[in-house]
Amino acid sequence: METYSIIFAIFLGGAVLTYFAGKLNSILQDILFLGSVLVPTYLFFSGVSFGSAMPFSLEGISLLWGIDHYSWLFALIVLGLGSLAAVYAIGYMKGKERKGYFYFNFILSVMSMLGIVVSQDLISFFIFWEIMTWSSYLMVIYNGKDIQRVGIKYFVFSAIGAYAMLMGIVIVHSITHTFFIEDMIQAYGHMSLQLQIWIPILFLIAFAVKAAMMPLHVWAPGAYSNAPMAYTSLFSGALSKMGVYGMVLILVTLVSRLPQGIWFREVLAWLGGITAAVGTLWAIKQDDAKKLLAYSSVAQLGYIITGVAIGTELGMLAGLFLAVMHALFKGTLFMAVGAIEKQTGTTNFTEITGLIRKMPWTFLASLMSIIALAGIPPLGGFVGKWMLYESLITSDHYLLVILIFFASTAGFLYCYKFLFGFFLGQEEKEWEHVKEAPATMVVPMILMSVFMFVLGTFPGIILKPINNGLMDLGFVDSYKHLWETSVIFNNWGDHVILQPILYSIIAIFLFFLILVVWKGYKGTRYVTTKDISTSGEVPKEDENLTFSVGFTQPFLRAVAPVMRRQIDKYYTEFAKGLEGLFEFMRRIYTGNAQTYALYVVVFVVIVLLFKDVLF
Amino acid sequence: MVGTPVLFVAIPLLAAFLIPLLGMIWKELVRIVPGLVLMYLMVLSINLLNHVLVSGPIVEVIAGWAPPFGINLVFSAFSGFLVTLMIFLGLVVWLYSYRFKRNVGFEPAKKYFLLLMMLITGAVGIVLTGDIFNMFVFIEITGISGYGLTAFYTGRDSAEASFKYLMLGSIASTLLLLAIMILYSQLGTLNMAEIASKIHTVNPTYKVISLILFISALGIEAEIFPLNGWAPDAYAEAPGPVGAAFAGIVVKASVYAIIRYIFTIFDISGAYSFLIIIGMMTLIIAETAAIRQDKLKRMLAYSSIGQMGLVLVAFGFGTEEGVFAALFLMLNHAIIKSLLFLSGSYLVYNSKDKKIVEVNGMHKFLPITSFLFALGAFAIVGLPPFAGFWSKLSVLTAAADSHMLFVLALVLIVSVIELVYYLRVVNRIYFFKKGENVDPKKPTFNALLAMIVLGALILVIGFYPDVITGVIHKASADLMDKTKYINDVLSIKQ
Amino acid sequence: MEEVLYNILGAVVTFIVAFVVGMTYGGLTRKITARVQNRKGPPFYQNFIDAFKLASKKTAIHHGVMHLMGPAFLMVTSVMTLLIVPVLAGNNWFPNLNFHGDLIFLLYIMTFGPLGMALGAGQTGNPNSAIGVTRGLSQMVGFEIPWVMSLVALMIQYHTTSITGLMEVQAQSGTWLMLSSPFAFIAAVMAMFGMFRYSPFDIVGAPTELASGPVSENGGKFLFVMMSAGSVFTFAKLTLYVDLFMGGASNLVVLLIKTFLLYMIPVLYGVTSPRYRTEQAVRWFWGWPTFFGFLAIIQAVILK
Repeated sequence: METYSIIFAIFLGGAVLTYFAGKLNSILQDILFLGSVLVPTYLFFSGVSFGSAMPFSLEGISLLWGIDHYSWLFALIVLGLGSLAAVYAIGYMKGKERKGYFYFNFILSVMSMLGIVVSQDLISFFIFWEIMTWSSYLMVIYNGKDIQRVGIKYFVFSAIGAYAMLMGIVIVHSITHTFFIEDMIQAYGHMSLQLQIWIPILFLIAFAVKAAMMPLHVWAPGAYSNAPMAYTSLFSGALSKMGVYGMVLILVTLVSRLPQGIWFREVLAWLGGITAAVGTLWAIKQDDAKKLLAYSSVAQLGYIITGVAIGTELGMLAGLFLAVMHALFKGTLFMAVGAIEKQTGTTNFTEITGLIRKMPWTFLASLMSIIALAGIPPLGGFVGKWMLYESLITSDHYLLVILIFFASTAGFLYCYKFLFGFFLGQEEKEWEHVKEAPATMVVPMILMSVFMFVLGTFPGIILKPINNGLMDLGFVDSYKHLWETSVIFNNWGDHVILQPILYSIIAIFLFFLILVVWKGYKGTRYVTTKDISTSGEVPKEDENLTFSVGFTQPFLRAVAPVMRRQIDKYYTEFAKGLEGLFEFMRRIYTGNAQTYALYVVVFVVIVLLFKDVLF
Repeated sequence: MVGTPVLFVAIPLLAAFLIPLLGMIWKELVRIVPGLVLMYLMVLSINLLNHVLVSGPIVEVIAGWAPPFGINLVFSAFSGFLVTLMIFLGLVVWLYSYRFKRNVGFEPAKKYFLLLMMLITGAVGIVLTGDIFNMFVFIEITGISGYGLTAFYTGRDSAEASFKYLMLGSIASTLLLLAIMILYSQLGTLNMAEIASKIHTVNPTYKVISLILFISALGIEAEIFPLNGWAPDAYAEAPGPVGAAFAGIVVKASVYAIIRYIFTIFDISGAYSFLIIIGMMTLIIAETAAIRQDKLKRMLAYSSIGQMGLVLVAFGFGTEEGVFAALFLMLNHAIIKSLLFLSGSYLVYNSKDKKIVEVNGMHKFLPITSFLFALGAFAIVGLPPFAGFWSKLSVLTAAADSHMLFVLALVLIVSVIELVYYLRVVNRIYFFKKGENVDPKKPTFNALLAMIVLGALILVIGFYPDVITGVIHKASADLMDKTKYINDVLSIKQ
Repeated sequence: MEEVLYNILGAVVTFIVAFVVGMTYGGLTRKITARVQNRKGPPFYQNFIDAFKLASKKTAIHHGVMHLMGPAFLMVTSVMTLLIVPVLAGNNWFPNLNFHGDLIFLLYIMTFGPLGMALGAGQTGNPNSAIGVTRGLSQMVGFEIPWVMSLVALMIQYHTTSITGLMEVQAQSGTWLMLSSPFAFIAAVMAMFGMFRYSPFDIVGAPTELASGPVSENGGKFLFVMMSAGSVFTFAKLTLYVDLFMGGASNLVVLLIKTFLLYMIPVLYGVTSPRYRTEQAVRWFWGWPTFFGFLAIIQAVILK
C-alpha cells in the first residue's frame, strides 16, 4: 500500500529537511518540523486501513507492514502524543541551541515508534526499535549533561535488551526461515520446550528494558530527566509504551500458549509490582521535578506491566488503559516541567515556590494530570487503577494487590510534593517576574487535560479500541457490549457507574464552593502568603517561611531500611569490575616485541600440541 | 574479453617502479599517476567482475605454462569481489591522501605512493594468485611495503612499531615457507587447484601441521590473537590512510588467504571450528582491550582486529550463509573502518599524543568530519539503518542457523562493549569542551570527498543493501564450490 | 426525573442525619476526653455552637483559588463516602449511590478530599499546613496497608467487592463478619486509629506543634465546612465499618449504638497516649495491624 511509503518518506525527508532548514530560517524550520509530524499523522489516520498490508523485501528478507486494531491503539498513543508534543516543542525550543538536532531526532523517534507498531515482521520491527533507541539516545545526551554516565548507561541497557531480542529473532528465523511475526506465532507451538521458554525471555528482556522494569530500570531516571522536556513527554509517554506493546504481544501470542507461561506472568507481575513500589519510594525522595517524574514513570510502568502480565482480560484492559492514561498525564506533566524550566530556569522544588498565580494554566494542567496519576476519581487514572485492582483481586493476586496499593498510596506523597513544590506555598520575590508559558506550550497541556477528564467518565472511548485490539490478539470478548456505556465491571459482576458519580461530585463540589464564597465574595480580598497566622504571629516580610527542604523526611525515615539498597550500585560495581578485567586484557598487549614473538611461538606450539583435539 | 587479471598485478607494479622516474619529470606526477592507475583498475575490475558474475571465472595463465606447472591467476566471483573492494579502497586512500601529502614534501610523498602501490600490488596478488609460492611472494611484497608505510613518520615510535611488524612478519614468512615446504614435499606441486585435488592423499599429520603453520603465518598478517602484537602499534603509528589501507586491504588479503587454504585447499573439517575458536578469542580480547585504550587510533586498531575476528567466526560456520555474512562484514568493515581511520586521523591531526581526550568538542571545528566519524561509529556497531547492521544481522542469522547459540550470545555481548567505547568517543566529539592546546586541522577537499564517498556508501548500503548483496551471494557461492574451482583451473590447457 | 429528585432528597436527609450524629459524637468525644483527663470539659453540644458561630462569620480574606476550593474538595469526599455507604440495611430510604460504586472506588474517593484540601492548605503558604499534609499522607500510607489487607481479605473470601454484597453475605449467614473474619476486623480496627487521627496518631493536626496543621489558615465559613465535612466523614466511616463487619443496621437506633461503640475504640485508646512521631506511627501500622492483615488474607484464602 502506498500510504506507508508516503508516510515514512515524509518522516525521513522531513527530518533531513528540517535539520538543514535551520540554516536558512528558524520559522521555516518550525513549520517544516510541524508538517513532518502532523502530515504523516493525518495520512495515517485517514489513509491507512486495517487488514491491508504492504509487503516488500530487502536484502532477500521479506518484510511486511500493516496494522491491526491492537497496533492502531499504540499508533494512536504515538501519533497523538507525538503531535501534541511537537506543537509544544515549537514553543519549548524557541531560542534554544541545536534546534535542528532536536527536531531531527524528534521526527525520527516518532517515525521509528510508528514503524514499530506497523511492523508485521521482526526485522523491520528490530530496525525501527534500534532507530528509536539511538534517536532517543541522541536526545538523552542533548544537554551534554553527564552523558558518559547517563547516556551510555541508557544505551548499554537498551543494547542489551535489543541484542537479546535480536538473538531471539535469529533463533526464531533459524527455525521458521521467515521473519514474519505471524509465522513465529504459528511455529511457536511446535518448538522444543527449551526454546519455548527462552524465546519469550529474550524478547521480554528487550521490552522490559524499554518499559524500565526492575531490575533493568536504572537507566530511566537519568535518561528521562536529561532529555529535553519536550522530548521526555514523548519519551516517557510513548516510547516506554513500546516496551508494553511488545510485552503484550509476546505474552498474549506466545506465553499464553505455554503451560509454564503462568510463571512468566507471575514473575513479570511481581516485578511490575516491585517496580511500582520502588519507583514510587525513590520518586518521593527526589528534589528535582524531572527526577521525580522520571521515577514516577518507572513506577507507573510498573502498574502497566503488572496489569498486562496478569493476563486476564480485565488485567489487559487495565494495563492498556493505564498505558493510554500514562501517555496523557505523564506527557502533560513533563510538558509542565518543561514550561516551568523555560520560564524560571530551574526545576528544583527547593528553589521554586508559589507559581500558581503566575502560571495558572500550567497549574491547571498539572493538577489534572496529578489527579489522574494518583488515580483519584473522577479522572481517567481512576478507571485504570480500579480495573487493575479488580483484576488482581479476581485473579487471586492477594499480596500483589497490597503491594500495588502501597505503591499508589505512597504515590500521593510525590503527587502532593510536585504540586506543592512548584505551585503552592510561599510566593517569593525571586519568582515574581515569572509569566505563563506561551500558548503553543499551554494548549497541548490543556488539551490533554481535557482528554483525561473525559476518559474518567467515558472510558469506553478508549476501552473499546483496546477491546478490539485484544480481540485481534485472540482474546475472547466477554464485555464488548458494555463499553458503550460509562460503566466499568469486574469478573464478579461488581461495577462502578461513572456518570452519576461524576455528576454527584460536581454537584457537591459546586454547592459547597458556592456556600463558602457566595456571600460577599466581593468582600473577600486576596492576601499574600506572608499574611498568615503562624501560631498567632504575623511573620515579617523577610522571614523565610518556605517549606521545601526535607519535604517528605518523616516518611522516608519510616522506609529508610528499604531504600538503603540500590540496584544501581550493584550495576556500578559490576561495571567497575568489568573495567578492571578489561584493563587486564589490555595489558596482554605489552608493547614489547619479544613478548609478541613469544606469543606467536607459544601459539604455534600449543596448537601443534593439541592438533589432535582441535582438528 | 574486457581485460585480463594479470593487469591487476602488472600495472600497479609498473606504476610503483615508474613513480620515482616520473617524479623526476614532474613532481605532481607522483601523486597523479597512482590515481590514474587505480581508477583504471577500478573500471577494469568492475567490468571483469560483471563479466565473471555472468560467465564464470577467468583463469589467466602466466608465461604460457598451463596449470599445474605454471603460475595462474584466478579472477572468480569471490576473488574478484575482494579485488574490486581493495582497489576501491586504494582509490579512496589515494584520494584522501592526494593533497595531504603535499605538506610532507616530495621525497616522503614519493615513497608513500610507491609503497602504497606496492601494497596494493601485493594484496591484489595474494587474492588473485592460484599458486601458493606465488602467494608467499605477494605476501612478502605486501609485508615489506607495510613495514615501510608504518615507519612513514620517521620518528622513534614509528620505527619501533615498524620493527615489531617486521619482526613478526619475518616469523610469518618463515612459518609460511615451512608450510609450503611440507606441502610441496608431499605433493610435489605448488598449484592450489592441484593441491586441492590431491590433498586427500597426504598423510593427515603432515596435512594438519602444514595447515597449522599456514594459519599461524597468515594469522600474523590477519591480526589473529595472539599473533597480532604488531597491529595496534602499527595502526597507531602509521598515518591515518595507511591504517585504513591496513584494515581494508592487507588484512582482507590475509584473511582471504586463510580462507582459501581452509575452504579450498585443505579438507580438514576441524579447521572450521578452529576458525571459530580463534575468531572468538580475537574478537573478545580485542574488543575488551579496545575499551581501555586512550589513543584513538589504537582503539580503532583493536576494533579492527575484533571485527576481523568476527569475520573469521562467520567463515568458521562453514555454511554458505556464513561465508555470505563474512564477506558482507568484510565489505562493511572495509568501508566503515576506513572512514573511521580517515576521519579519526583528522580529529587528532595536530595533537601530539593522538589521545582520545583530544577529540573533545571537535564538532564545532570539523563539523563534517565529526559527523562522518559519528556515522561510522554508529554503522560499525551495527545500528540500523546503517550498513553495519545488515552484515551483523547476517552473521547472527548464520550463527543461529548453524545452531551456535553460545557464539551468538558472545558476539552480542561483545557488541555491547564495542558500542560503549565508540559512543564514548562520539560523545566526546560532540558534547565535551575542546582542550585548550588542541589546534584542529581542517581536512583538505580531497580528503573530505573521500570520506563523504565512504559515508554515502554506508547510507546507501544501509537503506538498500540489495545493491551489493547479489554480488556477495555469488561470491560466497563461488567460494563454497570447491570442485568447480579445481575444475576451472585444471581444465585450462594452453 | 422523579427518581433523581428522590435521590437528591434522600441524600440531603442522609447528610443532615450524618451531620447531626457526627457533630454529637465529636462533642461527646471532647467531653469523654476531658473526663478521663479529669477536666470538666465542654457540653456535648459545644460542637454545634462552634459550627453555627463559624457558619455565621463573614469571609474577609482568602489566599487564592485553591484555598477557596479546599473545603469544597473535602466535602466532596465526605458526602460521596456517605452516599456510597448504605446507611441502613434493606431500607429504601437511603439508597443514594449505593449501587454505583464499590469498595475500591470508596477507598479512592476517600483520598480525594484530603488531597484537595491539602492543595488549599498549601496555597495559604503556612509552612505548618504543608508539614501537616505530608505527615497526613505518610500516615495514610501507613494505615491504608492493614485497611486494604482487611478489605481484600473480605473480598476474596466472599467473592464480591461491593459493600452491599458483603452486607448480603452477612444477612444470609446470620453472622457478623467481625466474628467470621476476626483477623480482618482486628486489622481494620487498628487501621481505624489512623483514620480517625486521635492520639497517639494525631500527628496531622498536632495542636502543640503545628497549630492544627492543614486547617490552620482557615476560619469562618472555611472552617465550618471543614468541620462539618469531618463530622459527616466520621459518621460515614463508622457506618462503613458497621456495614462491613457488624451486619449493618436495620434502623437508626441500632446504627447509633453500633457506631458509637465502634467509635469509642480509637477515642479511648488514644485518650491517654502521647503522640507518636510520624515514622513511628507509620511503622506501627506496618507492624501488628499488617500482621493481622496477613492472617486475614491467609484465612480468606483457606476458607475461600
